[in-house]
Amino acid sequence: MVAFIVRRLLLAIPTLFGVLVVVFLLLYVAPGDPVQEMVGERADPETIARLRKELHLDEPLLNQFAHYTGGVIRGDFGNSYITQRPIIQDIRERFPKTLLLAGSAMLLASILGITLGVLSARNPGGWFDRLGLGVAYLGISFPVYWVGLILILVFAVILRWLPPSGYGGIKYLILPAFALGSRSIAFLARVTRGAMLEVLGGDYVRTARAKGLKERVVIVRHALRNALIPIITVLGLDFGYYLTGSILTETIFSWPGLGRYVVNAITRRDLPAIQGSVLFLSVVFVLVNLLTDLAYAKADPRVAYS
Amino acid sequence: MRRLILFVVPAILSCGGGSESSAPQRKTIIDSRDTYDPRSMDPALSTDVPTGRAVAYIFDGLTRFTPDAKVVPGLAKSWDISPDGLTYTFHLRSGVKFHDGRPFTAKNVVSTFQRVLDPKTKGGRGWPLYPIKGAEDYAAGKGQTITGLSAPNDTTVVITLKEPYSIFPKLLAMPVNSIVPDSPPGDFGQKPVGTGPWKFVEWRHDDYLRFARNPDYFDGPPKSDSLMARIIPEMSTATAEFEAGNVDVLSVPDEAGKSWQADPEKKKLLSSAPALRFWYVAINVMRGPLADVRVRQALNYAIDVNTILSAVMAGRGAVANGVIPPTLPGYDSNRKGYTHDVAKARQLLAAAGHPNGIDVELWAATTDQSPRLSQAIQANLAEAGIRAKIVQRDASSVREAARKGASDLYVKEWWADYPDAENFLYPLLYSKNKGPGGNVSFYSNPKFDALVDQAHREQDESKRNSLYTQADQMQFDDAPMVYLFFYKDMYAIQPWIHGFTVPAVFSGQRWTDVTIAK
Repeated sequence: MVAFIVRRLLLAIPTLFGVLVVVFLLLYVAPGDPVQEMVGERADPETIARLRKELHLDEPLLNQFAHYTGGVIRGDFGNSYITQRPIIQDIRERFPKTLLLAGSAMLLASILGITLGVLSARNPGGWFDRLGLGVAYLGISFPVYWVGLILILVFAVILRWLPPSGYGGIKYLILPAFALGSRSIAFLARVTRGAMLEVLGGDYVRTARAKGLKERVVIVRHALRNALIPIITVLGLDFGYYLTGSILTETIFSWPGLGRYVVNAITRRDLPAIQGSVLFLSVVFVLVNLLTDLAYAKADPRVAYS
Repeated sequence: MRRLILFVVPAILSCGGGSESSAPQRKTIIDSRDTYDPRSMDPALSTDVPTGRAVAYIFDGLTRFTPDAKVVPGLAKSWDISPDGLTYTFHLRSGVKFHDGRPFTAKNVVSTFQRVLDPKTKGGRGWPLYPIKGAEDYAAGKGQTITGLSAPNDTTVVITLKEPYSIFPKLLAMPVNSIVPDSPPGDFGQKPVGTGPWKFVEWRHDDYLRFARNPDYFDGPPKSDSLMARIIPEMSTATAEFEAGNVDVLSVPDEAGKSWQADPEKKKLLSSAPALRFWYVAINVMRGPLADVRVRQALNYAIDVNTILSAVMAGRGAVANGVIPPTLPGYDSNRKGYTHDVAKARQLLAAAGHPNGIDVELWAATTDQSPRLSQAIQANLAEAGIRAKIVQRDASSVREAARKGASDLYVKEWWADYPDAENFLYPLLYSKNKGPGGNVSFYSNPKFDALVDQAHREQDESKRNSLYTQADQMQFDDAPMVYLFFYKDMYAIQPWIHGFTVPAVFSGQRWTDVTIAK
């Protein structure tokens, strides 16, 4: 197990290096000029040339890459061109907020999605199942910004139960978490239903029922446990995806997370901020994938890593 | 994403429960206009709008803007100008203290200006101080001091200019020239200390800025206790916050303007004012057929600005007949603009040797109203036989291409930094400013340059204004751009807010007279 984890982490190093190279090259060939974004609409060529030199942007690509990578190896992600703050500090400030939002969305999605899926599977073709199917289709089809705006309209503007946007206590979290998780709720409900239907037909479920176990115990302890693998896959993928910055949700709800930070950095061609965030998010993605794999083993003893 | 959101916006606006008419319990005034996190609170880095606004709350310059774009004394209570127009003697207020209790003196002015120009500051906005003798050398790392800047005593600053530059006091009101205390620490941009009406309290990045009233402000403390500037990236969200009564002032999105005006309840909350913002299509005069003035005039005749203004901008603007807005001296109300005249456009094209029309690229950013404006312009041009291909990129890419001279036509907006006709004529059209300086038409006319130079030196205001008018007429005939319109700001202001006026320059409203009343 430990050997497995160590091997996976070591394998991540070339992956991250690859990410770094690709991002660096992409930004190098992409149009747009960081220095012109710093100085604004009106500037003299001398100032622009000076800043370019100061930021090593006048050097060959390889030198720039060596300069940046050298910093990263020493744990220095550099300072933002625009704000002059250390990138690490910016990420440290914003990532917990993204994590909170993604975590809440996932929690909401697992509770609602799995419950819906289990209930649908109990009586396939029944009214609840059909209703669930309809809701799931809607949830998967509606884009998140649309769901977000509708939620704001209904719960913040008309009913005034919750604030429209911002960051604060739990009441600020509910709408964005729901908007972000809506797709996962729908998707999880479908996946859970399918997986449950498969296991519910199994011999051991019949045995469990024959033993006279309560239906609740049969469903939760025996059936659901065996249906978990596909559910974990969906959860793991979605969670990794949400953690990389739920850009649209964060924008709609003015949530001060990492997604908005990256978008701002891209708009203003803040190269160190873009590189630093992408690298950081790649690490997060690798870790979430690893955790997902470990969760498989926990859910199903037949899966063993060595 | 943006375009899809537009469909939902009207829904939010029309279904909204309407604003509460009762004042909220809070005592903090809340602004909603910032759409992205400021760059810093350090005045020297003030190159964007959210930064400039916040800096104007915390700091003072020697002069400052009023909401209606007048330039009035700030930390300087008065100034004398030598007869040759070269030497400015600023008499400073005495007894002014920074928020940390340190006294403000003339030395702060010297060190502030040095810091703005110092290459190590990496602010990138030294040009407003370049008129000072020795400033450009100092910015280039040559010279230990700025030769034209001195502080003979604690309450006097003497500035000598390279050459007479009559609008210099206006440049000193720009946020970048706000005065900071001696040797600001490394995290000054996060923990700013100024002399301004508002003390900095807290900055939650991408979330909000909070300020508290400075009870000792030399011009009288603000009437409210605290001020908050929320950072809301999406206009429809800001609108929802306004509808819920959570923010006090909203810049009404262009696409929502019509529905607000149609709603009698909401209409009462609206307040408009001409902004010093100019929408135009830069014509690169270096490229192909666009070098011919007849072709450029044809472009102007081809475009129906009135219809575009009402269809795309909900009528929020005034048609431009030149680059000087109607609210500034130098504007010529008698000038006859290029009317919408397709036949004339075709005739001019034919005369220029293009009876079958021309092909051009029309560059536009993906943000603001650029995509919609470019589509309307493309359709107008097609009627006159001008085949425009729209090249749509993100703002940074379009700017870069235009500055390099790679675009034929470029739909863009210009925000003035200070209220003077010079701020339109000089950056947008002076030959030295080609490219990154702001002249993306690459217009170069020695006679025009000479008029602008002359205006720079002219001490007499009415003579100066007439030079502006002449210069504007000259470039207008050369048509290095398609003159679209001067933008009009439309704000919604909650009924419980008193004393707020829509500012003409973005940094001109400091909330000092604003109160929340039941």
